[in-house]
Amino acid sequence: MNESKVAAIRGRGVINHAGELNRLKLAEMIRRGLQILTGSPNAEESCGQIFARNDRIGIKVNTIGGRKISTRPEVALTLADLLIKSGLHERNIIIWDRTNRELKEAGYRLSSSSNGVKVFGTDMDGAGYDTELVSHLNIGSLFSTIQTNFVTASISLAILKDHGLAGVTAGMKNYFGSIHNPNKYHDSHCNPFVAELFDSDLIKGKHRLSVLDGLIVQYHRGPSFHPQWAEPCGVLIFSRDPVAADSVGWRTIERLRAKKGLPSLQDDGRVPTYLLTAEKMGLGQAGTDQIQVVEDEV
Amino acid sequence: MERRQFFKTLVGSGLLLSTNTGTFLEDLFAFKDSADLSRVEARYYKKLPDREIECQLCPRNCRLGDKERGYCGVRENIGGTYYTLVYGKACTANVDPIEKKPFFHFLPGTRAFSIATAGCNVNCKFCQNWQISQVRAEQVKPLDLPPQDVVSNALNFRCPSISYTYTEPIVFFEYMYDTAIEGRAKGIRSCVVTAGHINREPLLHLVQVVDAIKIDLKSFRQDFYANYVRGELQPVLEAIKIVHQSKVWLELVYLVIPTLNDKAAEIRQMSQWIKSEIGPDVPLHFSRFQPMYLVQNLPPTPVSTLEKARDIALAEGLRYVYIGNVPGHEAENTFCPRCQHVIIERVGFQVNKIDIKGGKCKFCHNPIPGIWA
Repeated sequence: MNESKVAAIRGRGVINHAGELNRLKLAEMIRRGLQILTGSPNAEESCGQIFARNDRIGIKVNTIGGRKISTRPEVALTLADLLIKSGLHERNIIIWDRTNRELKEAGYRLSSSSNGVKVFGTDMDGAGYDTELVSHLNIGSLFSTIQTNFVTASISLAILKDHGLAGVTAGMKNYFGSIHNPNKYHDSHCNPFVAELFDSDLIKGKHRLSVLDGLIVQYHRGPSFHPQWAEPCGVLIFSRDPVAADSVGWRTIERLRAKKGLPSLQDDGRVPTYLLTAEKMGLGQAGTDQIQVVEDEV
Repeated sequence: MERRQFFKTLVGSGLLLSTNTGTFLEDLFAFKDSADLSRVEARYYKKLPDREIECQLCPRNCRLGDKERGYCGVRENIGGTYYTLVYGKACTANVDPIEKKPFFHFLPGTRAFSIATAGCNVNCKFCQNWQISQVRAEQVKPLDLPPQDVVSNALNFRCPSISYTYTEPIVFFEYMYDTAIEGRAKGIRSCVVTAGHINREPLLHLVQVVDAIKIDLKSFRQDFYANYVRGELQPVLEAIKIVHQSKVWLELVYLVIPTLNDKAAEIRQMSQWIKSEIGPDVPLHFSRFQPMYLVQNLPPTPVSTLEKARDIALAEGLRYVYIGNVPGHEAENTFCPRCQHVIIERVGFQVNKIDIKGGKCKFCHNPIPGIWA
């Protein structure tokens, strides 16, 4: 497999002292990340390389952690804005997760407008789970109709954080929120389930881009928020290779843990083994020698 | 009238919900109001630092951070306190023949008011009720049915027992336990239908308040439990022994799945274990598999396979061995092990005749173990 490219973009001053996000800076970070990934001179062309004009795009966010440690609405909305500016119609974009309650608690304003960007959960009236049981390897689940019926192209816009079982929860595990029974897939450090779920046609066939929200990274005692172990890194991580994105996210967490004198995830008995499984399944690159990380600052 | 309110009205008034032998399933995944979930503190868990908890109800011993759910999908850590989300929130309620559970030596010919909540702490690939067991609490519409209402319904429907069944009652332990106590106070017995994947301490408490437990022994191999149940065999065997040592009536079911757990050697080994650890009088049901859930590629169990399994168990000295899900088969009947008369005649869930008097065979007066009244 060829080397995979990951863009790690730091935004100077993207978070102010009050914890507020600078949306202009966010927009710059996202543009830069996409440009690096695609080699395009501008973000609009970048989007054109990744998405078709008539794609219906699902921006799958992770909002289980509440306001403090969920994919930030500002990031999701800024990304949606960029997609619209690149020619995609706003009615064909949805920002979603599994429940309206979690989205609201994370700071999202729900919208089911037929003409604008939609923001809602699988539990929205008229959405729900598909009745066809998908059986793939060890996965047996019902999928959100948002993923099965609406979305033709998927972006995993995940918060990057430590996870007590998986080691890391990032772009790939974010798709646990697309099925009705994620609680069944946390055995064995969520391995091989994270990789096998991603490998299902409904995910792999639609996934186009991983973006990890590393603006504030919970590097210990995730997935819930603990301020003493949350670092304002101010970083967004981009890749078209979902495994490589998560792998870079993992290394970020390890660096933060080492800096604070915490044991590595390996020493803590929870190295993210799903990454190796995913690599073996041909889903992407996990090893650092197969990943080209391009760092930039805006 | 909205459907949920309609059923609540029926329940509240004591009118019949359903007398058919199937479960009824409300609209799945149509329930969204998390305010209707219960928030009753769970039992059997340990608080840990940093708002984490460790559940101690079943061998999974889920260790959960804040806002995380257990494997069962119906218990949640909220701010460092663990809650059951389904206390008093049945997702189904029915009046069933007790033979359906199956209990063949516990109040035969009677009906059980049967309830379940969503959730399960295993994930059998052949689950018959996966639409309610393999879901999270908010994904099925609950019926508000607190313990006292369960008991009232049992009384109104003239059911001498309440059955905790369909899904996995271990995951609604607190609800089951409190209902059993309420029921006992009103002369209603309790019977539990479970996979037996439970820790020792809660089980020791449970056997104080219920009257009968039927355990599904899915296989006698750990690899089967790992691959097809996502559980552990050993805790189930321990649970069987604990129930046997208590005063609670015990029956066992073995669902025979072609090619997966139907080998003679395994059945023999299991039968030998039952005979030596539990004794020859525990009823053992070999039940017929139907393709279901994630096991759709196998045929239904041939009746000859079930008969062979039964023959092996009888040859190993077990006295009450049945075949299930084959209506009309003679192995649905209870035979006196001494005189071989049919002392309970059954067809499907229908009991046609009971020739047991004072707990003894009517013909030869051999004591027949069970709870007959």
